[in-house]
Amino acid sequence: MKVACAVACGLLVGTVSLVAHHSFAAEYDGEKPVTVSGTVAKIDWMNPHIYFYVDVKDDKGGVTQWKFEGYPPNMLVRQGWKRDVTMKVGDKVKVFGWRARVNPTQAASREVTFADGSKLNSGPPAGTGGQ
Amino acid sequence: MTRLLTSIAFVLALLTSAALIAQGEKPVLKPVPRTADGKPDLSGVWVGGGFALLFGEAELEAIRKYDAAAGRKPLPPPEPPPYKPEAEKKRQEYLARRGIDDPMARCLLSGVPRITVRPLPFEIIQQRDRVVILYEVHHAFRFIPTDGRPHPDDIEPSYLGDSIGRWDGDTLVVDVTGFNTNTWLVGVGTIHSEKLRVTERYTRDTHDTIIYEATMEDPEVLTKPWKQYATLRLRPGERIREYECIENNEDIQRFEKLLQSGEFKKP
Repeated sequence: MKVACAVACGLLVGTVSLVAHHSFAAEYDGEKPVTVSGTVAKIDWMNPHIYFYVDVKDDKGGVTQWKFEGYPPNMLVRQGWKRDVTMKVGDKVKVFGWRARVNPTQAASREVTFADGSKLNSGPPAGTGGQ
Repeated sequence: MTRLLTSIAFVLALLTSAALIAQGEKPVLKPVPRTADGKPDLSGVWVGGGFALLFGEAELEAIRKYDAAAGRKPLPPPEPPPYKPEAEKKRQEYLARRGIDDPMARCLLSGVPRITVRPLPFEIIQQRDRVVILYEVHHAFRFIPTDGRPHPDDIEPSYLGDSIGRWDGDTLVVDVTGFNTNTWLVGVGTIHSEKLRVTERYTRDTHDTIIYEATMEDPEVLTKPWKQYATLRLRPGERIREYECIENNEDIQRFEKLLQSGEFKKP
């Protein structure tokens, strides 16, 4: 549906970069989706992207920290996010996104599911821009 | 009593949702506003790209309904850039490198027309003898005189070039020249030379939309003029915010690492 709108809504499709900052494919692999659940450890609410870090426990009690990239603050607030309110350090979250090409514990986030079950988009869909 | 109250609440809820549905199904079509001198007034906050990134499905559906109600026709389909072979070879190299060379990823100012379709809003302020465009992205601004003056004779090549405007009926036509070569035209690898000239046409075809047409001419790299279109959409209640791109741009270092990894060759 969104692709249909991209055409119908008259975007400069085909050549345009629809991202705020860089092409998705530059750093992330749209063929490698990933979902992790854990506890928010840190949030860098900054431009040109936010980054948030999630501590993920494994079966053996070890903890791996994942780094997620998201939209810039200006795009997040227009989608209902509020700094220090929507997501806080210590919150339990589930994050869906796509893996980075280089760092095995970094990903581009697309959607965050919060402890109450609510969901918000946190970053662009895979493959956005770059062509 | 409780049941009565529940029934009243239920009926009220039905009426409210019916009103909301009706509101959603019949977009309000207002006339195009005009200034005192009769020109279409382009003033307002607009977005030119990335609707699917910025808006939820309900809003995208409202856009579709508005276009249908207003009888808006689809814009011409995008055409690939008509590059000369050497330039096209370079573009393909940049595409193969997945856009890591993008000047935008280094927080450099986007040029024309790319800045128009970045997914952050911009405000047009139309005055009697000039049009001002304030872009949220890069804190960029353009002053476009419409008083008949020519381009200045001391232009230094720049990211946004030098703009002069004139009215062609109800369309604002902007001639932009004097570009540097640090920008891409619209997509990855869409390089250009300092001979680039862009002609923009802004036509407010309905109250909520502007048809944006950009014609790019560059005899150094293009075989013929290249046209791209976009719909600019009015964002009532929206305001321009600050966007300082370089604040925490980690991409520069990561792209350097990618380059050093040997995965890419220099173009």
